[in-house]
Amino acid sequence: MDKPLVVYEPFRAGLPPMRDYLRSLWSRRTFIAEFSRSELREQNYGSVFGQLWLILNPLLLSAVYFLLIYVIGGSSDSTRFGHLTASLFLFYLIANSLTGGVKAITSGQRLILNTSFPRIMLPISATVIALFKFIPTVLVFIVIHAIIGLPYSWQMLWAIPIFVIALLMALGMAILISCINVYFRDISSMLPYLTRSLLYLSPVLYEAANISERIKKAEIANPIFYLLDSWSRVVVHAEAPSRMGIIHAAIWALAIFFIGSYFFLSRERDFAVRL
Amino acid sequence: MISLSDFNHEHIPQGVAVSVKDLGLTYTTSIDKKPTLKARIKTVGRGKKHTRVVRALNEINVDVHYGTVLGIIGSNGAGKSSLMRVISGIVPPTQGRVEVFGSVSTLLALGVGFNPSMTGRDNVYLGGLAAGMSRDEIDRNFDAIADFSELGEAIDAPMRTYSSGMYARLAFSVAAVVEPDILIIDEALSTGDAKFKEKSLNRIKELRTSDRALILVSHALATIEDICNEVIWLNKGKLMMRGKPSEVIAAYREFVDARKSASSDEDV
Repeated sequence: MDKPLVVYEPFRAGLPPMRDYLRSLWSRRTFIAEFSRSELREQNYGSVFGQLWLILNPLLLSAVYFLLIYVIGGSSDSTRFGHLTASLFLFYLIANSLTGGVKAITSGQRLILNTSFPRIMLPISATVIALFKFIPTVLVFIVIHAIIGLPYSWQMLWAIPIFVIALLMALGMAILISCINVYFRDISSMLPYLTRSLLYLSPVLYEAANISERIKKAEIANPIFYLLDSWSRVVVHAEAPSRMGIIHAAIWALAIFFIGSYFFLSRERDFAVRL
Repeated sequence: MISLSDFNHEHIPQGVAVSVKDLGLTYTTSIDKKPTLKARIKTVGRGKKHTRVVRALNEINVDVHYGTVLGIIGSNGAGKSSLMRVISGIVPPTQGRVEVFGSVSTLLALGVGFNPSMTGRDNVYLGGLAAGMSRDEIDRNFDAIADFSELGEAIDAPMRTYSSGMYARLAFSVAAVVEPDILIIDEALSTGDAKFKEKSLNRIKELRTSDRALILVSHALATIEDICNEVIWLNKGKLMMRGKPSEVIAAYREFVDARKSASSDEDV
């Protein structure tokens, strides 16, 4: 008799055979792209502007802060405006990934109960959607950057590795929270408050340089504090990021990604029974 | 929707396609609908768990050989769909072992992965990709799929404008182009009108070849008798009988009649 191709045995928490898993995931890359694209379309379905909202959202968001800083605040601090928009846009990459990720598994019930595929595909596509939403904001920021006359330098190339770290962080968080939500549904109701707190705890509405050393030390516990600080230094101030900032962000991103993936992969065969 | 596992495999005709050994499956369902913190806290310290155990499958042993069309019958809640889910790797068994010798495509529900706000055309790609086909393969088969579904120009309309029959027809058409070693179909024959039903039945008959194994779940006993060359009958998670379609179906009918619930088991 042949050797069986696949064997299904009682569930034990533990990683699946990684080579097969990754190969199977890779073979579904077009599906991930297509699935994300259709979800994104669905979100703007029926609206007059449709996909144009991807660019309208960041425009309106920056218009609101323009109103707040320039018109109401009466300030002409272009750095502050630049910092706010740049930081908010990167923050939304992570926040969107979290909000999309939290229900990735629980709302994919029909797909999960009827098809066999690497489940991690679902939170990945939540991050892909967040990325699709992030790209137009980069274009908006480039225009803002030019209009308000922020400085340029070669140090701005640091934006690329920082963006990669942010994406890894967003992915890790989506994977982790989608898995947590299977076992503890309350997390999806708590999430708006979590992201709101994260927003206030991170240097978005203020600059990291303006807060006390004591609070800065405590912010080591905030995974995205130094990530956002580095981002603002690079794209707004055109300075090099601090080494500590990059290392802090990278360690947090890797930790969340690996812990999240381990947690997810070792439990995903159990998801179908839990939905 | 369907899913095609990512392996290509050479197998001997008449060889074993799926081997199910001593299979048991229990579901632990919480009595509360969703697991929440409140429910968790309420049970803390009471030593009482808010769960109950449902035995869906109990010591099932079945071998399916290539060239076989296996029908699975049984009343609601007999464990038919659970068995299909374990064989296709969606739900892990609680006991025993399932060995699969080939690529599996499952058709457990129609139109899974479809997105109603996209057009029929987009959904053919979405559904096909979900089934594990490549974009090229779908490109090649697109005309065949569109023809089979008989949707005509409606294929470029958003799917939320479709009638349920049109929806099901497109879903079945996407599923029908996949040619796996092992095909698992759960209640998918009851789609569309009589004409389309006949057509999908014929398609399934075409798929009956000596190097393929088909597993079919249906309440349509006449169809099962017509297509299958072997039938198993499940009741409350146990394998009651296995054998020739006519014999097993006769025994099942007798059993159902005896329980005086012979309302209408025919034709879903």
